[in-house]
Amino acid sequence: MLKKTLVCIVCPNGCDAEILMEEGQKAKILSIDGCTCDKGKEWVEQELTNPMRTIASGIPVENGDFKLVSVRTDAPIPLGKIFEVMAVIKQKKVKAPVSLGDKLIENPAGVACNIIATRNVAFTGTSLISVG
Amino acid sequence: MENQYDVIIIGAGVVGNAIARELSKTCVSVAVIEKELDVSMGTSSRNSGVIHSGIHYKPGTLRASLNVLGNSLMADLCQDLKVKIDYIGKLTVAQDEEEVKSLYMLKDQGEANGVPGLEILDPDAMEKIQPNVGGIKALHSPSTGIICPYSLTIALAENAHANGCRFYLGHEVTSIKKTGHGFEIEAGKKKLTSRVLINSAGLYSAEICRMLGINNYQIYPCRGEYLILDKRLKGALNLLVYPAPHTGKAGLGIHLTNTVSGNILIGPSNEYQEDPEDYACTADIMAQLRREGHVLLPELKTADFIRSFSGLRPKQTPPEIGGFKDFVIESREDVKGFINLVGIESPGLTSSPAIALMVRDMVEKLLPLTPKTGFNGTRSGMTNHFHELSNEEKADLVAENPDYGEVVCRCEQITRKEVLDAIENPLGVKTINSIKYRSRAMMGRCQGGFCLPRIVRILEKDFGYRPEDYLLKNRSSPLFFGKMRQDTP
Amino acid sequence: MQTIKKDLVIIGGGPAGLAAAVSAKKKGLSDILLIERDRILGGILNQCIHDGFGLHTFKEALTGPEYAQRYIDEFQSLGIEAMPETIVLSLDKDRTLTVSSKKGFLKIQANAVILAMGCRERTAGAISLPGTRPSGVYTAGAAQNFVNLQNIMIGKHIVILGSGDIGLIMARRMTLEGAKVEAVFELLPTPSGLARNVQQCLNDYNIPLFLSTSVFELHGKDRLTGVTVAQVDEKFQMIHETKRFVPCDTLLLSVGLIPENELSLNAGVRLEPATSGASVDDRFMTSIPGIFSCGNVLHVHDLVDHVSEEASLVGQSAVAYLQNKTDSATAIPVVPKQDIRYVLPQKISGKEDVTLSLRVTRPMRNASIQVKDGDRKVAKKKLVRLHPAEMIRIKVKAKHIENAEKLEVSVQC
Repeated sequence: MLKKTLVCIVCPNGCDAEILMEEGQKAKILSIDGCTCDKGKEWVEQELTNPMRTIASGIPVENGDFKLVSVRTDAPIPLGKIFEVMAVIKQKKVKAPVSLGDKLIENPAGVACNIIATRNVAFTGTSLISVG
Repeated sequence: MENQYDVIIIGAGVVGNAIARELSKTCVSVAVIEKELDVSMGTSSRNSGVIHSGIHYKPGTLRASLNVLGNSLMADLCQDLKVKIDYIGKLTVAQDEEEVKSLYMLKDQGEANGVPGLEILDPDAMEKIQPNVGGIKALHSPSTGIICPYSLTIALAENAHANGCRFYLGHEVTSIKKTGHGFEIEAGKKKLTSRVLINSAGLYSAEICRMLGINNYQIYPCRGEYLILDKRLKGALNLLVYPAPHTGKAGLGIHLTNTVSGNILIGPSNEYQEDPEDYACTADIMAQLRREGHVLLPELKTADFIRSFSGLRPKQTPPEIGGFKDFVIESREDVKGFINLVGIESPGLTSSPAIALMVRDMVEKLLPLTPKTGFNGTRSGMTNHFHELSNEEKADLVAENPDYGEVVCRCEQITRKEVLDAIENPLGVKTINSIKYRSRAMMGRCQGGFCLPRIVRILEKDFGYRPEDYLLKNRSSPLFFGKMRQDTP
Repeated sequence: MQTIKKDLVIIGGGPAGLAAAVSAKKKGLSDILLIERDRILGGILNQCIHDGFGLHTFKEALTGPEYAQRYIDEFQSLGIEAMPETIVLSLDKDRTLTVSSKKGFLKIQANAVILAMGCRERTAGAISLPGTRPSGVYTAGAAQNFVNLQNIMIGKHIVILGSGDIGLIMARRMTLEGAKVEAVFELLPTPSGLARNVQQCLNDYNIPLFLSTSVFELHGKDRLTGVTVAQVDEKFQMIHETKRFVPCDTLLLSVGLIPENELSLNAGVRLEPATSGASVDDRFMTSIPGIFSCGNVLHVHDLVDHVSEEASLVGQSAVAYLQNKTDSATAIPVVPKQDIRYVLPQKISGKEDVTLSLRVTRPMRNASIQVKDGDRKVAKKKLVRLHPAEMIRIKVKAKHIENAEKLEVSVQC
């Protein structure tokens, strides 16, 4: 038997989950303790079999009132795929205007998610104006 | 002709720039060579900013006479150059009878030097000037003042520049050759010639001497560290308060110094260094300064320390001897045309206008100096920062120029107009520190956390900066490593 | 100078100011003005492009800009007046403001003021960091602005001092952008940021976190070349034998946030040493009548959801105050005791239910927060994990504290 501890990242409570697992190639979970909600338990199971993460980044915008449109994955993606997805994001450029929620990239690196805009970027005619 | 000057000055500190401005009143052509990208990058900007009265120096020395003359010239000079100066006075406080004796000695010495208005005060009179000052007697020197040392240095340079003096910034002197007519100087990638050469290279003055075969000078950099306190404490001190001098000590002791911007300084320490550019602050001294600060200012809180800095005094005496040696200001007989200034430490800032006059007289013995008819000794602009004006004055200025309405640096309340003026400085310096020293933006309690991103944006939008163009102080101090993402084809 | 009058002026258009404005408007107040120094509303959320905001408020993991946009949309649809690109230069105790913008100077006489200016970051100077003064030393928030808003690469080999949330978030951000984050050093024996951020910003990317370790010297005359780090003992003194040099070109500081209370002090508002924010009652009114405070200018929060919730209450309180609906009943002081660093509000009326916000002094497990009036227990909350980085809230019912003299809050293990 294998004992593992994980900090749950579902919400800011950050519960300490204590997991008992059967040793061997395939992770078999025997028990999960310390989670205070069902979502947390689900997450722990997922985390031990195939950890998933949401990532956020930015994409350059031409002629926008922001230089970058902030973006995120619209669904969690496998932890191991993050750098592949980032590589796709890094190649992308868009033109203003952009609306919050716009799908800017579909299925990056073959991963089942979309890269969506998380802010509005207005058209200005010059790409130099930024905000902050 | 290009690259040929009557007079070349090495070093754009307060002394070099004061000499440059003095000579720019005459018809000779003048250039200043400076290895840093801006003026006032060495000792001139890294000190207490005190205009001394002249009580501390032996009668008959250059330090005594130039200090007292410099002090008396400073008021008019600052008015012309729009530099803020405040003659707040100083109390030198004695704790026991032994120290009282030294106060009377200082008073006699000061009077022999021509320092005006000196008075020995009893505790009642001291209390009226500065509550809770402690001590049994104090010497009051009303002519002691405070000034922003880099503001003065920059103003001198800008006014010299406006009157025709040429500045070679970012040009390090690598070799000097004496020729029949004068000097050939290699600096940066430039070859310059001059008939008269003035060495005001401060910490590097002995090195410049050696380039001309003069080997009898040595500079021992002596570091002084300071802590800068939050403006919240402004008003805690009405005037400067120093301890009475103890025999055998090199500096004037750690003390509090008011600044014209309203911050209080704690310092300086006294540590000899090998490296003439080692401006580090050390854990031990910082802790010592914090301790002494809490003693000197009981209302001081940890959050009041906003920054530390250090400066180096160009001392002529090694640590084992210590103390002060008189300024060297000489027109060399053996190297005709070479005017040599070595060991201009305190009171160099105060003395600078007087040194400039003395050097001017030396130059006149080598070159005819006819007055220039078009000389304008007045600098344009404001003495005060925008935030120091009355609401009515502010409202008028904003109506005149909307850039005064936008506050870029919130801690110091520095406006966009003041930042733009600093960016577009007459000397054409474009480092982040040059903007900081000229505008005071980034000097407040958040240390640029808020306004640096804004200033970066102004430089990009209005001046076309690319990320790699931002330099903190020199070419080796980039702020950034290019764009995160290439956004243009 | 022109003078205008307003019922309610809100200083700051970040999450606190927006939520306060929205709730005041919904309570029926019409004459509201929100003053914001930036071009756009949303405050610091604009640069916080990572997700994790809004789990409490919207039951969704939103990014900062998305979270802000929800409030901006509501603010705008309610037709509340905003004055962007305007800075408040002064605030008097009679609630007169002097403001400045490119349009000119203006005096505003307000019947009530809500302070929502947020906080600023502690700097290298504030922690008296020894060494040289090279380029490449940034507060994490300033770095976040350069990276997320200005498309600028701030460094390639990065060390982070302090395990505050912004520092952790920036560790991941810079890693994803191709920088090498060498390590995060934390003076305290426990992380300062949320546990989930340690997991998904550091552990996910194998970025080492060294606890009880700090940076003791900066190196490099021009650009940063490295830092000296060492472990510390229980008194936070450097253990000399553990000194080592870590090469890096960039140091990010995530060493704490300070409520930005210069205007509050200007008005004569009394501040609490423990929070560096105003001392408030359960209406969130400061020591100056008609001046209220909420969000990070009141006390530094770890969750924006709590900021919005607090600010909504403050918006309502301000309206009640303007409608003379609040009575100045005898106030009951609320005092932090055993293991409590601070508790807020600092005094309450006892007439209404109140939620106390507090932080503990040290990490603990399986303990409870107790609120007592003398020997009488008036509220209790059991918790599995208690951590200084995580704000704890506890409800106290009015019916339990009607005749209370003083409430004492403590941790019982």
